[in-house]
Amino acid sequence: MSEVEHKEPPVANELKDYIEDGKNKMIVKCKFCGSKILDKNSATFITLQEQLPLMLQDSKQEGEVQSETITDFYHVENMFTFENIGFTHTVANYKYLSCADCDAGPVGYYNMDTKHSYVAISRIVQGDN
Amino acid sequence: MAKTYDYLFKLLLIGDSGVGKTSILFRFSEDAFNISFISTIGIDFKIRTIDLDGKKVKLQIWDTAGQERFRTITTAYYRGSMGIMLVYDVTNEKSFENIKNWIRNIEENASADVEKMILGNKCDLEAKRQVSKERGEQLAVEYQIKFIETSAKDSLNVESAFYTLARDIKAKMEKKQEASNPAGARSGGGHQLRANEQQRKPTSWLSRCSLL
Ligand SMILES: Nc1nc2c(ncn2[C@@H]2O[C@H](COP(=O)(O)OP(=O)(O)O)[C@@H](O)[C@H]2O)c(=O)[nH]1
Ligand SMILES: [Mg+2]
Ligand SMILES: [Zn+2]
Repeated sequence: MSEVEHKEPPVANELKDYIEDGKNKMIVKCKFCGSKILDKNSATFITLQEQLPLMLQDSKQEGEVQSETITDFYHVENMFTFENIGFTHTVANYKYLSCADCDAGPVGYYNMDTKHSYVAISRIVQGDN
Repeated sequence: MAKTYDYLFKLLLIGDSGVGKTSILFRFSEDAFNISFISTIGIDFKIRTIDLDGKKVKLQIWDTAGQERFRTITTAYYRGSMGIMLVYDVTNEKSFENIKNWIRNIEENASADVEKMILGNKCDLEAKRQVSKERGEQLAVEYQIKFIETSAKDSLNVESAFYTLARDIKAKMEKKQEASNPAGARSGGGHQLRANEQQRKPTSWLSRCSLL
């Protein structure tokens, strides 16, 4: 047990209520429609430095994809762990994740090489049901 | 890690270009000023978790991305699929006639026991209709496949269609299991199925389209 704890990344204060033993304590849901994305206790908290495209792209700024850096993720090793989720077509070895019910996204990404998925915590909500 | 579901079914949406396959999978509508990143790239597949008679069933639902234009859908694409939604457009006669060709394509390329269902989509466009609901039903009877009219635009019958297909696949699998293991499987099946039927999918069955 203590071994596992060493490997866990430090959890920022505002996330402490949501993470227990390195896992999501609550249900992960879509911010917009509440669709259930992950069951309790099914994903592992991880910190990374990843660029994720913004959900809404300003149509006036043609060509370039507008992104932001995101650090806090839930790591999902098997895609069938997801309750409800959409996978986009592949772009440069990634698929982006979207809400299966309202199509909002990206709420995270999927790496084609490792076949692991990462859900951006800032783009979802967490709750008891 | 322990498996947290009972069944995993891979399902495909098949049919002519323009019948609404992508719309069945993707519902987002956007305004003129903001472009959704997701809709620019498009959805490849969705994973949905449903409850069927107390069993947790994962559906992996795949869109057909462009291949349909050339009818180049071959064995590789069908591999592993357990259910196929055959979609036509009720405002497009040709797409209806082509369902027969799609069925032939499936027979030639997919696994023999793949479960099929026919969807007559765009049933919200009553004024433009070219294919009556009766003709859809006749075709379904001819091939002994289930049939329902849908509107991806109004989200009519889409969800219940997937429940129906999934339930039929599950029933087929349980039948197979029962055949190979007669004693064990008997306790589960039949009566449970009926008990849950009523609380299941409610209003959408009674939609405009299916009452026509
Ligand atoms: N009115 C109506 N239009 C639909 C419906 N489903 C799809 N469409 C429209 O039909 C066109 C083709 O749909 P699409 O999903 O791209 O078809 P696909 O080529 O089979 O993927 C698009 O303009 C959709 O908006 C529907 O149920 N009702
Ligand atoms: Mg399409
Ligand atoms: Zn949503």
